Amino acid sequence: MTGADGSHAGAVAVPDWLVQQDVALCPCGCVGRRRKASFLTRTIRGGSGILQQVLFGEDVAAAPGLLQRIDPRTKIVSLLALLVVAGLAHSMITLAALYALTLGLAAASAMPLGFFVRRVWLFVPIFTGIVVLPATLSVVTPGHVVLTLWHWHGVAEGITTQGLLAAARVVCRVAASISLVVLLTLTTPWVRLLAALRGLGVPRIVVLIVGMAYRFVFLLLGSVTDMFQARQARTPGTPRHDGTARAFVGAGVGALLGKSAQLSEEVHHAMLARGYRGDATTLERHRLRAADLGYAAAVVVVAAALIWGDHVLVPR
Amino acid sequence: MHIPDGYLSPQTCAAGFVVAVPVLATAAARVKRRVRTRNVPTLAVLAAVSFLIMMFNVPIPDGTTAHAVGGALIAILLGPWAAAIAVTVALGFQALLFGDGGVLSFGVDVVNMAVILPFAGYGVYRLVARGAALTARRRVLAAFLAGYVGINVAALCVGIELGIQPDLFHDATGAPLYSPYHLAQSIPAMLLAHLTVAGVAEGILTAAVLGYLQRANLPLLRVNHPGVPVDAAAADAERTRRRRLRPGVVAAVVVAALVVLTPLGLLAPGGAFGEDSPQDLRAALGLAAVPAGLAHYSGFWHDVLFPGYLSGSPWTYIVSAVVGIVVVGLVVWGAATLAVRLFGRRVPVPPPAAEREDTVEQVTDGPAR
Repeated sequence: MTGADGSHAGAVAVPDWLVQQDVALCPCGCVGRRRKASFLTRTIRGGSGILQQVLFGEDVAAAPGLLQRIDPRTKIVSLLALLVVAGLAHSMITLAALYALTLGLAAASAMPLGFFVRRVWLFVPIFTGIVVLPATLSVVTPGHVVLTLWHWHGVAEGITTQGLLAAARVVCRVAASISLVVLLTLTTPWVRLLAALRGLGVPRIVVLIVGMAYRFVFLLLGSVTDMFQARQARTPGTPRHDGTARAFVGAGVGALLGKSAQLSEEVHHAMLARGYRGDATTLERHRLRAADLGYAAAVVVVAAALIWGDHVLVPR
Repeated sequence: MHIPDGYLSPQTCAAGFVVAVPVLATAAARVKRRVRTRNVPTLAVLAAVSFLIMMFNVPIPDGTTAHAVGGALIAILLGPWAAAIAVTVALGFQALLFGDGGVLSFGVDVVNMAVILPFAGYGVYRLVARGAALTARRRVLAAFLAGYVGINVAALCVGIELGIQPDLFHDATGAPLYSPYHLAQSIPAMLLAHLTVAGVAEGILTAAVLGYLQRANLPLLRVNHPGVPVDAAAADAERTRRRRLRPGVVAAVVVAALVVLTPLGLLAPGGAFGEDSPQDLRAALGLAAVPAGLAHYSGFWHDVLFPGYLSGSPWTYIVSAVVGIVVVGLVVWGAATLAVRLFGRRVPVPPPAAEREDTVEQVTDGPAR
């Protein structure tokens, strides 16, 4: 197994019914016993999740769209610029405008909008939302209490305007930032992203390591899922979370390390046999086109407008 | 543990890169010096493994599962510098491929998880496993503590980075601009989760892998443990060879400890115990007269080398201090020499055993259980 395609196909071929063995018997979950997934199931599911995301990302990156046509270097630089704008913005309106901009770009880049919104907003409320919820209370963010929840030594305590504003701002900022990163990663094939990093001055050796590591991830992911599926196949009933299970995970990682040590040795010999002397040479032929310059100019204008608008909305 | 974009101010993110980039450059230079042309495939494989370790669900005793970072493990196996690079690349995958952790906050994430975690964990491991044989149980304990302490130190740093945001960055109404929690809230929140669950998971994983390698793959362990004896017998021989009590070292250690502890005396309230003159003592205790014995023997202390530290000049004060240190050192040295003469048995040191053949072959297949 050498190619990325081969390893993808090998690990994805797990049928759903085998991976999700412990759902309740009735599809709605009303009959049968719903059990917590074991560490085996969760690890296998995590592995197939990684592959699913990567394959889907490559699908979107191959679709014809606005951002797919832009040079990756331009995309990276403009992403950083817009992320800094999101970081510096004080006003909710600025952040909302930035988020609307990402929605527009996603639509123009042939991205399923429902997926794009869900990807961001499934993550944001679960993590950021719950995390910042207590920050709306006066015990964390003191200020003007708008909703009194309890009294403490005669002082009204509850949700404050400052707390609400802070929480909303963090949620919007996180949503806009994640949307920006998702836009870049979903519209750029991994190989071109690496080439762009090289073009932006990241040392060649780093790009080489990252590129090779990406290939190894899928090769070794196959080993890991094999190991866990084999263990699941010879485990009758539900695997218990006891010392044996922990020893198995330890042995699994240990075996993975042993395998990878051998693999790196073999790859090293193969590289030396092909004349590797510690330097990497790559074919780099990227030229910025008018569309790229136009996109970059548009991003600069938008970023400047957002910053200016933010200063008007919230004078400092 | 990953800080996403939006929680930290751009200024904090910039500071993260300022710290992360030189550390990574140093790490790359050090690793390259050690493994030469092998560095690219080795580091690439390590980075892939580091990424995959984060995928493993570790079953923890309460019946649930948790993820581990694995930074301490890689630091134990290949040194903290290699771990820094491997974990950085793995974090890069997570940030760029899966949107886990931010792009602007990447530098800060690297500092926490790829620099502080492996170095803190490795330090703890070296401290606890010092002098233990390669197959000793103590190394497993040391690995657990390395994982546990490493991730908790990293969590503390995350708590500090998040906690300084509301005080440094807020708008005119006092509403925080970024992470809204103060240090008093962010540090306990981070540490509670990591001291109870995540730290245990990290420790279990690190210890379980080390235990497995002790049983099944000693050559891999030996890479970062040059000169460490393999089993208890060899370790004993090594220890007797090394553990001859050296009076000079003992004296130096005692004097150094006294010097280090000196500031405690400056911080402690009140005067020095037992150094009052008889008159002061009489006043303090409200006695009618100085007791005869005290009056008699206190006169003895007038015949000393530096009476009243030759009162006045700071130089004489310093000279008297140096003389005191030398005297204390000489006394300890004399006592240690005497102890060696009286109790030090001459143990015949066996010649260093020839490199022993490993009976366990390198296991590269999956664990058969």
